[in-house]
Amino acid sequence: MATAAETKFIRPDGKDKVTGLGRYTADLTMTGMLHACFRYADHAHARIRSIDTARARALPGVFCVMTDKDVPDVRYGPFVEDRTLFARDIVRYEGEVVAAVAATTPEIAREAAALIEVEYEELPVVSDVEAALEDGAPLVHEGWSGYLASDDVVRKGNDASRSTIVKGDVDAALASADAVVKERYVADMSHAVPIEPHAAIAQWQGDRVTVWSSTQVPYIARSGVATTLQIPEGHVRIIVPHLGGGFGGKCEFHYEAHVAALARATDRPVRLVFSRSEEFFAPDHRREGQVLELETGVMKDGTIVARRGRLILDNGAYSADAPFFPQLAAMHAIGPYRIPNVSVDASLAYTNTTPSGSVRAPTAPQACWAVEQHMDSVAAAIGMDPVELRRRNILKEGDTTATNQVLEPIGAAETLERAVELIGYGKDLPEDEAIGVGVGWWPSFGGPSGAFVKLNGDGSGTIITGAQECGTGAVMALPLLVAEELGMRPQDFSILAQDTDAGGWDAGASGSQTTFNNGRAVIEAAREVRAQLLELAEEELEASREDIELVDGMARVKGSPTKSVPITKLAETAQGDRLLLGKGSGSPPPAPDVDASGCTGRLGMETFAAPTFITHAVRVRVDRETGVCRVLEVAASHDCGVILNPVGAEGQVEGGVVMGIGMAMLEGSIIGEDGRQRNPHLLDYKLQTSADAPPISIAFVDAPSPYGGPKGSKGTGEPPCVPTPGAIGNAIAQVTGARVHQLPMTPERVWAAAHGVEA
Amino acid sequence: MSGGTYLEPASLDEALALLAEHDGAALVAGGTDLVVGTRQGKRTLPETLVAIHRLPDLDGIGEDGGALAIGALATHDAIERSELVRGRWTALADASAIVGSPATRHVGTLGGNLANASPAMETGAPLVVFGAEVELRSPGGSRAVPVESLWAGPGRTTAAPGEMITGVRVPAPAEGSGSAYVRLEYRRSMEIAVVGAAALVTLAGDGTVAGARVALTAVAPTIVRSAAAEAALAGSTPTAEAIAAAAAVVHDAAAPISDVRGSGAYRKAMIEVIARRAIDVAARRAAGEGIPIPATMTVGGTR
Amino acid sequence: MSHTCTLKVNGIAYPLELDAGRTLLTVLRGELGLTGAKEGCDDSECGACMVLVDGRPVNSCSYLALQADGREITTVEGLAKNGELHPLQAAFLDEGGVQCGFCTPGMLISAEALLRRNPDPTEEEVRLALGGNLCRCTGYQKIARAVLAAAPGS
Repeated sequence: MATAAETKFIRPDGKDKVTGLGRYTADLTMTGMLHACFRYADHAHARIRSIDTARARALPGVFCVMTDKDVPDVRYGPFVEDRTLFARDIVRYEGEVVAAVAATTPEIAREAAALIEVEYEELPVVSDVEAALEDGAPLVHEGWSGYLASDDVVRKGNDASRSTIVKGDVDAALASADAVVKERYVADMSHAVPIEPHAAIAQWQGDRVTVWSSTQVPYIARSGVATTLQIPEGHVRIIVPHLGGGFGGKCEFHYEAHVAALARATDRPVRLVFSRSEEFFAPDHRREGQVLELETGVMKDGTIVARRGRLILDNGAYSADAPFFPQLAAMHAIGPYRIPNVSVDASLAYTNTTPSGSVRAPTAPQACWAVEQHMDSVAAAIGMDPVELRRRNILKEGDTTATNQVLEPIGAAETLERAVELIGYGKDLPEDEAIGVGVGWWPSFGGPSGAFVKLNGDGSGTIITGAQECGTGAVMALPLLVAEELGMRPQDFSILAQDTDAGGWDAGASGSQTTFNNGRAVIEAAREVRAQLLELAEEELEASREDIELVDGMARVKGSPTKSVPITKLAETAQGDRLLLGKGSGSPPPAPDVDASGCTGRLGMETFAAPTFITHAVRVRVDRETGVCRVLEVAASHDCGVILNPVGAEGQVEGGVVMGIGMAMLEGSIIGEDGRQRNPHLLDYKLQTSADAPPISIAFVDAPSPYGGPKGSKGTGEPPCVPTPGAIGNAIAQVTGARVHQLPMTPERVWAAAHGVEA
Repeated sequence: MSGGTYLEPASLDEALALLAEHDGAALVAGGTDLVVGTRQGKRTLPETLVAIHRLPDLDGIGEDGGALAIGALATHDAIERSELVRGRWTALADASAIVGSPATRHVGTLGGNLANASPAMETGAPLVVFGAEVELRSPGGSRAVPVESLWAGPGRTTAAPGEMITGVRVPAPAEGSGSAYVRLEYRRSMEIAVVGAAALVTLAGDGTVAGARVALTAVAPTIVRSAAAEAALAGSTPTAEAIAAAAAVVHDAAAPISDVRGSGAYRKAMIEVIARRAIDVAARRAAGEGIPIPATMTVGGTR
Repeated sequence: MSHTCTLKVNGIAYPLELDAGRTLLTVLRGELGLTGAKEGCDDSECGACMVLVDGRPVNSCSYLALQADGREITTVEGLAKNGELHPLQAAFLDEGGVQCGFCTPGMLISAEALLRRNPDPTEEEVRLALGGNLCRCTGYQKIARAVLAAAPGS
C-alpha cells in the first residue's frame, strides 16, 4: 500500500478550479443582495470635525450609511486594543474606514460614499520609523497608555512593542574580536498581493449571521464579529468559499463585521468586493518595512563571537498581530548561527500608514536579507569564502540558540551543502554573473486544532475540519493522512472545511500550521474510527484486534489474507448500530525549553519549535550599466522535517522562491510625504511574471522532528521566501562590488550603489 | 461604468460623419487605453462612443510604392509578425513586440497607440526615425502630418476635433540601413519604457555612417529626436567609441522627470546607455548582422 | 442607454441589452453567470479575466462588451467538452499547476491561445505567452511544465 508520501496526489479541489466552476466569494450572489462600499480617510492623519451623511443617504438606491456611532463601542486588537471598526475622532492612515454604504448597485454605493461630507483638521503625518521614535515626535495614538493590552507587550508612546534578546557580553566580545563589521540596511513596505482581492457577504437568519468571507482565519473572523458587534460567537458562522490566495494578507479579522452590520441594518444580504487599489491601502497585514543596524565581531578563523543589532519595524497605524514581530525579527537578526554573545534591541514604531501584520514568514525575508548580506561582508572582512563562514557557524544538533534552546536533530548544515552543490558553487561564470547564498530559519507553531472523521454506510467518508485551504493544498492533502490510518484511498474521502459551525477550532492558514496541527487532529480522529472498525472486525473475523490490519480497503488478519472483510461491509454494519465517528484535537507537541532570562518583551518567539532551515543559492546576472538584474537559476534546499506531500511541498518552494525574488527585485511601496502609497496598483507594484521566474531545483533534507507534526514534519508554507532576497543581494554585490542596502534592490538602487551615487 | 451612446459605423465615412455630428464623441478600437483609464478613474467614459474595431480595410500592413502602409486598426501582434515590417522596418517590430502583454498586443492597435500620445509609447520612436507620416481623415478630406507633429504633449494630439487617424505611411529606409528600438525595462513582460530609444543607421559602401536618426522615448513630454546624436554619427565609422560618443550627447533632447518608476537622474544616465544600445544594434543590423527581434530582449538586462 | 446585442459565448448565443460602458468581464460574470473569468486588478495587469475573442487572448476587464457582439467568445467554462477535461486542464492537475486556482482560468485561456497558434512551443515561448497572467502561488514552474505536457506537438 503506497504511503502518503509515495502516492501521486491530485488535489480534490483541482477540477473545480480548472473548469472555472468553483466559486470564490465574489462569485456568490444572494437574492436581494446589496453592495457595500467604504468611505476612507481623506488624510493619513487628521481629527474628524464632522461627518454629514445626509446627501449620501438621500441618493436613490442607498439603503444604509453607517459610521462609528452606529456600531457598539468596542476597541479590539489581538495584542493591543487600539482599533475600532470605524474611525473614531481621529483617522490614522489613508485606508481607515470612516463610513460604510449599502446600496442596490456597486456604482450607487461608490457614488454615495463620495457624497459623504467629512470635515477634518489635519495632523502631522508620521511616516518615518526613526523619526517616530524620536523624543517629541507626534503621537500616532495620544491615548496609547489607556489601551487594554497583553501585559507581555512593552509599549511606550509610538513604540508599540519593544523586545530585546541578550546573551553573554557583547561589548567585551566585540572588543576582543579580530574584525568588527557594522552595517545598516533598510527594507521598504511590501505586500502579500494574493490575486483574489478581499470579499465578504453577510446574511442574517434570525439572530444568527453567516458571513462568506475570503479569510484565511475563519475562527478569528468569527471572534472579531462577535466581539465588535457584541453577539455570542455561536451566533456567527464564517464560511470560506474557494480562497484565491492569502499569504497572510487575509490573516486577520477584516471586514466581516462591517458587512454583517450593514446586513443587519438593511435586512438584506450585503456584499463587499475590494478593488486592487483598496487591496493595497486598506486592509492591515501588509509586510512591514525595517531599519536594521547590525554589528558583528568575528575571529580570523571564522568563528562569530558577537552580534549586536538595533531594529525598528514599521507597525503602521494600528497593532494587528505585529507586536510579536520585534522579538521574531531579533531572532532572525541573529540567524541560524552559533553566536555566544548577542544583544539585539527591536522596536515596533507606529506610523500613519497601512497597518502591518503577518505576511508569509513575517519579519524574516527582510531581516534575513540584511543578515545574510552582512554575513558576506563579515566573510570579506576576514578574507574567507562566504559559504565557508556559514559552514563554520551554522547551527547543528545540540547547539544552543541565543535564547538557550538546545537544538534537536536538524538538517541546517546539510541544506547548505545541498544547495551549493545543486547550483554548482565555484564554477566559472561570465563576469556579469555570480552565485549568492542565503541561509534562513523559521519556527513551526504548535497549537490546538480540531477535526472529525466519519464513514458513511457505503464506506465513503468525510473529513470535517476547521482548517482553511488557502491554495497550498495542505487541507486537500488531509485525506492522504486519514486514508493511511484506515487502509483506504484518499479519494474515498470528501472534505468539509473552513466552516466554523462544522469543524473544530483551527488557527487558519497561517504560521504554516495546517498540516502541523490539523494533520495531527485528523490522524487522531482517524484513529478513533480505526479503533471502531477494528472492534467490528474482531466480531466479523473472530480474531483479536491486535492481529487485524486495515489494508487496501480490507480488514484482514495479519498473515492470513483470506480471512478478511471489506471495510465497506463493516461500514454497512455500523450504519445500523453505532455510527463510525471519530474526533481529534491533536495536542500540540511540547515546546522545547528555553532560558530567555536576559530578554525583554517576550511574546513566545524566543522558542523556535521544530525549526525549519532553508538555504537558497541563486545565480544572478547584473547589467551593470542599468542595474537591471535577472535571476537565472535558483537551488533551494529545505529541511522541513519530513515531506508528506511532495507536489504540495515543491509548490510551496517554487512559489515562495518567486515571491522572494519579487521582494528582492521590485516589490516595494513608495510612500509619499502625505503618508499615502504612491504605487497601490500592479502597474507600478511589479510582481514577477512567468517570463521572469527562473528554473528552480529543489533538494529536501530529511530531518524528522521529535517535536513536529505528523511523522516529524515541520511547517513548509512560509520558509520558502525567507533566504531568497539575501542570496540575491549577495550575488549582486559580487558582480558589482557594491552592496545594496535598500530593499527592494531595484535597478536604480543597484546602479546607484555600483556607481557610488545616492539612490 | 455606465455609458451613453454606443455607435458602430459600418464604414469610415459613416464613422467620420458620426464624429462630426456628436460633440465629445470618442473613438474606441481595442479599448486598451480608454477602458483601462476609465476603470482607474483617470478619465470618464465619453458620452458617445464610436466603435471602429470592425471597419473594413483599416488593418492592412503592406507595401505601397516602396513605403510601408499600416492601417490604424493593425494590431501590435500583426505588426510584430509581419515579415515585411521585421525585414525592412525592424525597429517597429522591436517595439510592437513588447507593448504590454500578449493580450494587449492582440487587441491594441497602432492607431490607438498614436492617438493616446503617451510619452512612453513604444512605437513612437521607431516611427519618428523612419520619418513616418500619419494620415488624418475628416469629412472634409484628408491630410498627412509627420508623426512628430501629431503629438502636442502627454495625452494630447494635434488632430482636429472630428479628425481620425486612419493609417501611417512609413518611407523605406535607404539601402544599407538597419534600425532598432530598445527600452529600459525592469521585468520581462507587461512593461512600459522607463526610457527608450530608436535608431535608424544607414551605412555607406565604405562602412561609414551615411545617415542616422535617433529618437527618444519617455524623456520628454513627447517623443523627440536628438539632433546632436544624429550629427555626431553622420560621417563617422560606427565603432564602439563613436557610438558611445554619439549617445553621450542625446541629452540635448532629453529632460526626464522623476516618478515612481525612476528618478530624473537615473533616467538621464540611462537614456545615454539605451540610446547607445539602440544605435549599436541598428548599426550592426545595417552591416548585415541578424540580431533577433525584439532587440530589448537581446541586448538588455532582461535578455 | 441600452443597446441590443448578441454575445456568443462557448457556442451559446445570448441576446442582451447593455449599457455602452459595460465591460465584457462584468457581463460574463453578471448577466451570463460565467464566473470563471475573475477580476483581480484595476488596470489590466493580472490576466485573471482573460478570455478568447475569435481565438485571441483578451483582457475582458478592459474590453467593452458591445464590441464583442458577433464574435466567438471562449471562456474557461468552454474548454472541457462533453464532461471531458481539455488536455490543458488535465495537465494542470497532473503537474500540480493549480494552487489557489484564481489565476488558473486566465492561465488556461492564454495557454490555449498559444497552443492553437504554436502547437510545439519551447519553454521560453510558453513563459512569454503567459507573461500577461500573474500567479502568486506557484512560481510558474509547474504551470509551464503543464503547458508543455499538454502541447499537441510534444
